[in-house]
Amino acid sequence: MSSMTKPSTITVVPPEAAPKAATARKSRVDPLYYFFLFPSLAIFTLAVTLPAVLGFVYSFTNSVGFGDFEFIGIRNFIAVFRDEGILGAYGFTLAFSLVTVVVVNILAFLLALGLTSRVRFRTALRTVFVIPMVISGIVIAFVFQYLFSNSLPLLGKGMGIEPLASSILANPDLAWLAIVFVTAWQSIPSAMLIYIAGLLTVPAEVYEASSIDGATPWHNLRHITLPLVAGYAVINTVLGFKNYLNAYDIIVGLTDGGPGVATRSVAMAIFRGFEGGDYAYQMANAVVFFLISIAIALIQLRFTRGKGGIA
Amino acid sequence: MSNATRTVPAEPTTSGPITAGPAAGKRRIRTGQERTNWPATAILAACTLAVLVPLYVTISMAFKTTGQAVDGNAFSLPSPLSFDSFVQAWTLTNFPRGFAISVFVSVTAVIGEIVVSALAAYAIVRNWDRRLFRWSFFYLLAAMFIPFPVVALPQIQLTGLVGLDNPLGVAILHIVFALAFNTMLFTAFLRSIPLELEESMRMDGAGTWQVFWRLIFPLLGPMSATVGIFAFIASWNDFMMPSLIISDPEMQTIPVLQKIFQTQFSNSYNVAFASYLMAMAPAIVVYLFTQRWVMSGLTQGAVK
Amino acid sequence: MLPPLTPAGTRVSRRTFLAAAGGALAAFGLAGCSPAGTRPTITFHQSKPEAVPYFRDLAAKFTESQDRFRVLHDMATNLSASFVRSSPPDLGCLNYNLEMARFMERGALSDLSDLPEAASIRDDVLDLTNWYPTYAGRTSVIPYSVMAASVIYNRRIFAEHGLTVPTTWDELIEVCERLKAAGVTPIYGTFRDPWTVAQGLFDYTVGGMVDVRGFYKKMHEIGEDVGPESEVSFQKTMLEPVQRMVQLTKYVNPDASSRGYGDGNTAMAQGQAAMYFQGPWAFGEIEKAGTDLDLGTFPLPMTADPADLKVRVNIDLSLWVPEVSNGQEGARAFLQYLLQPEVQNPYNAKFLGFGTVKDAPPVTDPRIVEMQKYYDEGRFYMGASQFIPNTIPAANYIQSIIGGADPEGTLRRMDADWARLAFRA
Repeated sequence: MSSMTKPSTITVVPPEAAPKAATARKSRVDPLYYFFLFPSLAIFTLAVTLPAVLGFVYSFTNSVGFGDFEFIGIRNFIAVFRDEGILGAYGFTLAFSLVTVVVVNILAFLLALGLTSRVRFRTALRTVFVIPMVISGIVIAFVFQYLFSNSLPLLGKGMGIEPLASSILANPDLAWLAIVFVTAWQSIPSAMLIYIAGLLTVPAEVYEASSIDGATPWHNLRHITLPLVAGYAVINTVLGFKNYLNAYDIIVGLTDGGPGVATRSVAMAIFRGFEGGDYAYQMANAVVFFLISIAIALIQLRFTRGKGGIA
Repeated sequence: MSNATRTVPAEPTTSGPITAGPAAGKRRIRTGQERTNWPATAILAACTLAVLVPLYVTISMAFKTTGQAVDGNAFSLPSPLSFDSFVQAWTLTNFPRGFAISVFVSVTAVIGEIVVSALAAYAIVRNWDRRLFRWSFFYLLAAMFIPFPVVALPQIQLTGLVGLDNPLGVAILHIVFALAFNTMLFTAFLRSIPLELEESMRMDGAGTWQVFWRLIFPLLGPMSATVGIFAFIASWNDFMMPSLIISDPEMQTIPVLQKIFQTQFSNSYNVAFASYLMAMAPAIVVYLFTQRWVMSGLTQGAVK
Repeated sequence: MLPPLTPAGTRVSRRTFLAAAGGALAAFGLAGCSPAGTRPTITFHQSKPEAVPYFRDLAAKFTESQDRFRVLHDMATNLSASFVRSSPPDLGCLNYNLEMARFMERGALSDLSDLPEAASIRDDVLDLTNWYPTYAGRTSVIPYSVMAASVIYNRRIFAEHGLTVPTTWDELIEVCERLKAAGVTPIYGTFRDPWTVAQGLFDYTVGGMVDVRGFYKKMHEIGEDVGPESEVSFQKTMLEPVQRMVQLTKYVNPDASSRGYGDGNTAMAQGQAAMYFQGPWAFGEIEKAGTDLDLGTFPLPMTADPADLKVRVNIDLSLWVPEVSNGQEGARAFLQYLLQPEVQNPYNAKFLGFGTVKDAPPVTDPRIVEMQKYYDEGRFYMGASQFIPNTIPAANYIQSIIGGADPEGTLRRMDADWARLAFRA
């Protein structure tokens, strides 16, 4: 697993500070540092790497999760790629993640702009906007499921708005919008906080100087703010994509993958299969899923590399 | 992400993380008092409805009687005000015990995540030139992309084998899964701490141990608050991990115990909503009390 | 550990496989906590939500009634995970289905045939467990409560419109037409919840026309060759009932696709529709609204012959003791306690189940009394949707047919899923 992340393309850490530290103590490493690092490496290896390797091995078996099993080669992988249901789940999951990333980033950025501008009640407003972040996905999904299927149609009927009169969760073409909405509702706050952190790093003097030069607010946004937050957008996109690809509890609570199989995510397929004793097969699916997740992350980082540089 | 860092102008001279307090924020507030942007305020205030309405519905539903809850009108006020739902949700889940277990898991995860990740981040940043430390960092980062299902079942087997099929095991797994993100946050923050402070302390004869605990760890305070609140939220709300890992039903956490109300097999909406409210209230309360530190952690150059 | 099922050969034991891994972790592990107590604790897993308070009470009573065991009621354990780590509950009291049968098939459930209570169960009821994969020579699953499900109908609405209970398909359509013409919603649909579609419309229509047990027996034999040419298949055998199912959806409430189970119960309580395809578990929920109702049940007629009428049954609660449980003695004692007539009969009376022992008293509740004769005569089937593994999202597929998807294409997809599952098994 580590080999996949080693390539230096992921220069996640700015190397600026490093050289200084290096020259200071190039000769020896205080053994205490190993002691500092060791607990992390140890629990990580035992609790993640080892299980992941075991899971990988299981994907070549017919194990149902307990009892004896035998190795069946790559049959599971062949079946995964021939499985319409699973391919459909991949399609849905990728499309849903893409849309959600865009929606979340735009709204979070606008909220962050608003909350760092000269508004009143800034602290109170920010406090309210962050609340969705602290509530569990399952609970959020159940509350919205109730609103979508009971309250909203009732409201729609009452106000004579026809499209609202039936639940959008029941519409195979629109149910995914509800999932995007609720997922965005929950994940906008953390993206917003990251954007706020980014916006606050611009010294006010920069804007002041700029307005003395007669720049319009639009000019400021376009030439100062946007380039500046590009890096934060990368963080939000990579983290967001990773979370949305694993979408599970909100979908279970809202549509349970329906109507039909219209909103069945990969994670759902994996967990349902596991509960049904289809363990090894879903393990193969999960391995494929992991490779795709890593690939997407690498593509994003590669793709956005130049972008940040321009600024 | 290095790109992100490069785009950020040098730290404003007045607001290094060393000078405590969100200096950047303060300055903006000062300018904010000059002229209030009322249209923006109004728009933002309207947007809060998107957050407040679902909360209102949850609260009002929880206080309804079953009879009133099934009428489908979520926006009506409860009448009569009923506490039955809470009583039911409370007794069925043995709430006090579940609450204590949940608190144990969350607190262990919070402390563990802060200490373990801060130690690792410090070791990594100060030895970045050494391959072992550098590669360890990338090794840990990989965890962020491992789908939980891949490791779930082997984890059930392994924790069962070594007697960690209990709340402590769940807390440890939370620490591990958050390790990558937390280490990333801490390393970014550590890089903004000037080495000179540390050097002078070492000159006075302090060892790595003292430097870390007396100087670095206190400086990491705001970042620790951020890591801590995220750790709390994640472990408090988590359903999947405790449901799979904890074997003794008497040691189960609140979200798992409450699952019974979150089914599609009943129309006791009021009891369900009461249980949702009982689940979300502690997280909201903790957030309200800690948000100040969280924000200062984030704005002091946290996510670079 | 589980006994080996087949001679060694290429098989790898899970333990061996994990030994090295576990060894590494062991140094690092901490001892688990076990609750203190002088007498052994029996973990009793029961998670049917509405019955939780009832069984919790029984567990407490049993614990008081003797001083050898303490029974701990458990509704939270994840069963799959508990079997995976070899620490399942000591006594299970659950719906018996394909997921549970998986544990049975692999010998994870202990033999209970030596208990006198095992012999007291009705043969045709005990045989229901054999519809699922079994483990040769063992009686490990004791049916505790059987639920018979059929069409719930509002007797007053039927009487008002001069309708009698239909016994043939044509009569059923006529009843629906007349109700519709009179402006009454004939059937209340709750299609938002996939399980209600599978349990009701699908299982009733299929069960009324197809020999469910024989169908799946053949499907397993044919395995990866299931397809348009095979002797039986979803697309061939189930097409006709599924088409009739679609025909029935003409008679449901217009907002059926956005209504869930809870809404259906509320609507029935308010007399908004004449018929409702749900099991007796719905009565308890309908009751909560506190309205005055006169409800009954009848089997869905799918053919022209009243002699074909059957009801859908399921083993709503069954008792079993895992092989690896180290509290087997206590688990058996509590199992025997639960099976005493003075304990079992009141449960079934309260939750509208049918007794499973040979001399069980007939049900008396007017809402389900019409199903007694079918139960007594063994005229029942188990739901066809219950025999499709979880990996195939059958309920969702059926839901999409109701939503307008092409029945043939969807059934073909189910065949393909079935064949693929067999391919890698």
